[in-house]
Amino acid sequence: MTEVSLLSLVKSYGKSIALKGISLSVGHGEFVSLLGPSGCGKSTTLKCIAGFEDISDGKILFDNTDISRRLPEQRDIGMVFQSYALFPHMTVAQNLAFGLEMRRVPKSEIATRVARAMEMVQLTPYAERFPKALSGGQQQRVALARALVIEPAILLLDEPLANLDAKLRDEMRGFIRDLQKRVGITTIYVTHDQGEAMTMSDRVVVMFDGEIAQAAPPEEVYNHPASERVARFVGNANILDLAVTGKDAAGSDLALPGGGALRVDSPAPWANGRLRVMARPEQIALTDPGAGHLGGEISKRYFSGGHVEYHVDTQCGPLVVLGPTTQTVAEGQTVALAFDPARLWPIPDPKGPAQ
Amino acid sequence: MKRLRASLLIAPSAALIFLFIVLPYITVLVMSFRAPAEGQPYGEGFSLEGYTHFFNESYYAMSLPQTMFLGLLTTLVCLVLAYPVALHIAFASKRWRGFLYGIVLSPLLVGIVVRSYGWTILLGNSGVINSTLRNMGLIQKPLPLMYNDFGVVLALAHVFLPFMVLPLLSALQAMDPAITQAARSLGASRFTIFRRVTFPVSMPGVQSGCILVFVLAISSYVTPALVGGMRVKTTTLLVVDALIDQFQWPFGSAMALILAVSAGIVVLIFARLTRMKWT
Repeated sequence: MTEVSLLSLVKSYGKSIALKGISLSVGHGEFVSLLGPSGCGKSTTLKCIAGFEDISDGKILFDNTDISRRLPEQRDIGMVFQSYALFPHMTVAQNLAFGLEMRRVPKSEIATRVARAMEMVQLTPYAERFPKALSGGQQQRVALARALVIEPAILLLDEPLANLDAKLRDEMRGFIRDLQKRVGITTIYVTHDQGEAMTMSDRVVVMFDGEIAQAAPPEEVYNHPASERVARFVGNANILDLAVTGKDAAGSDLALPGGGALRVDSPAPWANGRLRVMARPEQIALTDPGAGHLGGEISKRYFSGGHVEYHVDTQCGPLVVLGPTTQTVAEGQTVALAFDPARLWPIPDPKGPAQ
Repeated sequence: MKRLRASLLIAPSAALIFLFIVLPYITVLVMSFRAPAEGQPYGEGFSLEGYTHFFNESYYAMSLPQTMFLGLLTTLVCLVLAYPVALHIAFASKRWRGFLYGIVLSPLLVGIVVRSYGWTILLGNSGVINSTLRNMGLIQKPLPLMYNDFGVVLALAHVFLPFMVLPLLSALQAMDPAITQAARSLGASRFTIFRRVTFPVSMPGVQSGCILVFVLAISSYVTPALVGGMRVKTTTLLVVDALIDQFQWPFGSAMALILAVSAGIVVLIFARLTRMKWT
């Protein structure tokens, strides 16, 4: 098991800067996802760790050893690619044996380790098949086994599920997660799919424009996003811009349009005397008009099996609410929204807390 | 109904192939078994004379290994020269690629006769290379650069290089660039990656490029005739000689068929040796 540290990693291509000083520490056996829109630098970060990109400044440490200048083949990494990148001219067994042969492992040991790895990803019957004769999911399992059979210091995965169909993707999520926990290998996983990042990771690192916006466990990122941009990128977010009517050491009083009032735990309002709070759609309840904190009208209703999604026009703008399927509210109906003050999240002021 | 429409679509090309390949081959096959005659292209009746004459006269028989040797050598030279070029173009930036493509294809823009004469100007005893070296005092007697295998292979490789580069290039471009990264991450050095991954994965291109160049090289006439100056005896030259100069149609036809069958056998052996189970 290896600890990976990125110290002020900078990567620039001429004048454009892809990474603006990334610092991140990934602990022994930890599963960390780099999450962000395309072009945010997540893949670049991974390529720098793998050694496929030279870094412009900063350091990459594996267990306190600086490996920034090492060639990829000397870094002891296992990597899984979006395209699987299996060797098409080698059988499954030969693909798995390749890395061991490069490490000059004795032949008999190669055979046993390859057999064990194939068992691990449930591909033993396919040992003599060529990659072309396998399904996408099977190919991805071969790629995973090929990366793990060499027992690398760290495992890097670059959008490994992006080419699979939805059902298979869900299966593979669990498969990769279980495998990673069983092997106990330090893992860095790049994805643009927030669901994938949330379900699989110990920690999610949200990146925008070559910078880390937040690095925290999935629940923390979801419930307490560090910024409005993180809130909107990770799941659906309702952001309410509310006036602060009073504050003390414990929290702030907020006024809602239409006379409602709320109290949230917040250190300070934004500089303009207002506070931006986030409420996730499932954290808002629909109640009868008159009750609740904020009045509104249902503009759209979407049934999606497990729950119903309502789009509600309010004086705070359009909000999205998830309701139970047992509740029947029709489009055009006037309702009130009830917030749970304990779960409202005051978004930190990017300019720093107002005094 | 669907099948009928499909066969209608291939009808034109099938008719072309039948008229201009199958029928002539049948004619050549029949002609090769006709009896030879004096003062006319062929005589009455049938005989095996065309074939026996070829194999009994070492002057003719030896042209076959000579032709195969030239073909294989040209193929090998093309492969060795073309591979780095193809690799380079495959990984060049898009803007460069078009330019490099043009350079690779440029030998085809010059007519075959002009190009072959061009080589004679360069390679001849009083040609550009020899006279330059002589003027510099580096050599006394001219180097034998043409009228031999060296000159012919050089000129043939020049012409056929694009036919090797293009299949290699398409094979290399079809390769997922991530597989070389995967090989590196597994600990392979650049040379090992080339030997164990890049080259084997480009094998379909190697195969088609080699077959193409080999077949073109052994059947070429103008270049061996001009650069070889009739001193490099390929079967193709002898076929033309028999048919046009000596007016011995049965013998010429027999030689043409022997060459075609031999080429077919070489190609089959090569295809068998480079068979890929994975494609």
